[in-house]
Amino acid sequence: MPVSSIFTSRRTVLRAAGAGAVALGLAGCKSAVDEKKSSPAGASGQPKKGGTLQIGSLTDFTPALLFTQNAFTAVHRLVFNTLTSYDPKTLQPQPQLAKSWQVAADGKSVTFQLREGVKFHNGRPFTADDVVFAINNLKDPKRSAQLRATAAVVQEIQVVNPLEVTLKLAHPVSNLFDLFEFMIITDKDSVEEAVTGKKLIGTGPFVFKSWTPGASLSFAKNPEYFIPERPYFDGVEVRIIPNNDSLVSALRGKQVQLAIGLNGRDVAPVKTDPQFTVQQYDTGSGAVYVGANVTVKPFDDKRVRQAISYAINRERIVQQSLGGFGLPSSAPWPKSSPAYSDATAKRYPHDPERAKALLAEAGVSNLDVPLAYLNTSTVIAQMIQFDLQQVGIKTTLEPLDPAKFQAQLIGQTMPALWAGSHGFAQLHPATLAVSAYPFNEAKNTSKFSDPAYTEIVQKAWRQPDADSPAAKAAYQDLSEVLLDRQFVIDLVVLANLYVADKSLQGVGQNTYASLVLDDAYLA
Amino acid sequence: MTGYLLRRLPSALGVLLLASFAIFFILRAVPGDPVATLAGSDPSPETVAAIRADLGLDRPVLAQYGTWLADVLRGDLGRSYVIGGEVSELLSQRIGKSVELTIGALVFSLAIGLVLGVLGVTVKNRAGQAVLSAINAISLIVPAYVSGFLLVFLFAITWPVLPPGGHVSVLSDPQIGFQYLLMPALVMALPPAAIVARYVKDGLLQALGEDYTRTAKSLGIPHRRILWRHALPNALPPVLTVLGMLVGTLLGSAVIIEAVFAWPGLGTLAEQAVTRRDYPVIQAVLLFMVAVFVIVQLLTDLAYALIDPRVRLR
Repeated sequence: MPVSSIFTSRRTVLRAAGAGAVALGLAGCKSAVDEKKSSPAGASGQPKKGGTLQIGSLTDFTPALLFTQNAFTAVHRLVFNTLTSYDPKTLQPQPQLAKSWQVAADGKSVTFQLREGVKFHNGRPFTADDVVFAINNLKDPKRSAQLRATAAVVQEIQVVNPLEVTLKLAHPVSNLFDLFEFMIITDKDSVEEAVTGKKLIGTGPFVFKSWTPGASLSFAKNPEYFIPERPYFDGVEVRIIPNNDSLVSALRGKQVQLAIGLNGRDVAPVKTDPQFTVQQYDTGSGAVYVGANVTVKPFDDKRVRQAISYAINRERIVQQSLGGFGLPSSAPWPKSSPAYSDATAKRYPHDPERAKALLAEAGVSNLDVPLAYLNTSTVIAQMIQFDLQQVGIKTTLEPLDPAKFQAQLIGQTMPALWAGSHGFAQLHPATLAVSAYPFNEAKNTSKFSDPAYTEIVQKAWRQPDADSPAAKAAYQDLSEVLLDRQFVIDLVVLANLYVADKSLQGVGQNTYASLVLDDAYLA
Repeated sequence: MTGYLLRRLPSALGVLLLASFAIFFILRAVPGDPVATLAGSDPSPETVAAIRADLGLDRPVLAQYGTWLADVLRGDLGRSYVIGGEVSELLSQRIGKSVELTIGALVFSLAIGLVLGVLGVTVKNRAGQAVLSAINAISLIVPAYVSGFLLVFLFAITWPVLPPGGHVSVLSDPQIGFQYLLMPALVMALPPAAIVARYVKDGLLQALGEDYTRTAKSLGIPHRRILWRHALPNALPPVLTVLGMLVGTLLGSAVIIEAVFAWPGLGTLAEQAVTRRDYPVIQAVLLFMVAVFVIVQLLTDLAYALIDPRVRLR
């Protein structure tokens, strides 16, 4: 066939393609790009009212986990409120739905005066009965609330009047206000519909409109919010973008103004771009650690566990695997914790010689053990493997997917070593030891038990005043015992960060990393 | 044709039953379970037991299968354990979006494949052939997450003419919807397009070597007419067969492409459900995909007979 004869057809194709391109570019034509673009930034720095905030989230909302701290952070403090909220700098509780409170001198009861005139989104007034419901709800094992142990300490609830309620405790607990920061107040009549994502009724700044699983959530401003003039936004749309790079693309393409759930490495492409803000919170977002099963020899010897702690180069993990975001630390505490100190963070510097000496002292050589890890953090596992190899500990990597990892973690069936991450160190230090599974003094993944540890944990937990010198001394004891026993070898406190368009101001979060948009606006 | 369909029905149903059994038991053989996901990071043994009993997972597996199968036959797909809501509702929210993406990808792969295949026969010079086979090879081997991000980088960030991701239904707003569909459908279409091109080219070469082509040529019929009217129809049946098979590949590649383009279809639902061991959802999605595959195979056989009258359905 002569080449010329196909040219006509090719020309036709090209012409058609060109026409299509022109059609898309025509002035009257709608563009999906412009349709979603944010309004241009205004000149003034004054909070601007109105507009809809577009958020991109890596994870989807899981209604079954509504009463559990989980990866989806854009619902708890949008739709709901809590009784109190911490000042993020001092961990001092501030009024929210409770306007004042008194803790008894013996720490065994607390009385709340509730804010009057607060209404749920369905118009029902908020009263003491809703507080009673919220506490009993958290005690229900099906809710799998991490602070259930603390909720269970509340033995008796007395409704003094519709706006006053007294809680009687079995014993004083230092992390009591962690509970009131955590416990969202939901409409008691619709809770079963809440845990299936049908209806979310709270008192918060935004009213839940809809949830399309895997796609989006939609919220509208609550015109009757108890804080006057708030929120600024008319609405909030959350788009689920399950891929890290796609989420960054959506931000760069101006489809979303706020990206949540990204880690340090993901934000590298926009880190130095003046169009975007990378905001970090001192509360961190959990910590990477290596756990040791102390029933497997020779890990019953704390010197071997300490050797591992010296062997791992924490700084390198932060630089090479986490994009430079995160705090290398031997202790679990983020900087916001009352137990944090530079000295404990730097207790185990990278010192392979010392690690080898400790191993020799323990009479350990030719070690070859399995190292299980979460398959979402392969790079970190490989770095740990390399560092351990340098001091003579050979490991075989065993990747586990999240469901399997979690099952082995709570089922106490981890091999000799495993690498994972834990949360709950951002709160009162005792919360970690009674609520985070790797540390739980009653039953933990390491199968570690030590009367001294139990005593220290209980002492730190049962402090009547969380800020007293006695409490602070107890936290230090807790820190020391963890650093000495090293059944959990902490490596890096992960950065808690979000990336946003420069024009977005006033975004906050609570101590459980729930997004707070009461004061947010687009400048 | 109705008779033919009726004869095929028992074997199709058999395949579905076998698939339901395999899906159910393979899922439960995979380590990890939905209770671990639901129980959060600090579950007490009571929490785990309460959730397990609540989901009915403490019953024998065979009894669970019986209940599930009976429910499915009644049209009840059950409730999602982890994601939340009725499984049928989750599926119906996604199916339309997946159909949109798959049809878009099929149209693109057929169009691109036909153009490349015909060019493969008509372009005679060496440079042209080299370019064509390079395009073919690249479409086939470049993984979706690479081509996807390349397109996003070019057309959503560097030269922002298309949205980087998301979904607007083509039916509700054709103009906007098409802009959302363009990149994901194209990325999905690339590897199948290369395969289609290969089959078109081989089919054409074979047809052009047949006696009837030589006869047509000797009668002075123009080459273009021979190619389009005589050779191409004869080259199409195998292409159709392979396209039917490719539907399965497309459903599989949807998992990655939907994630890259934040396209809320069945692929992301499957991924979400698998990582959290949301058994009822995975079972329903997989069973649905098997059903689609079975139906597409049936339709392919029927279409075969329509394009090629020599094939008689027995």
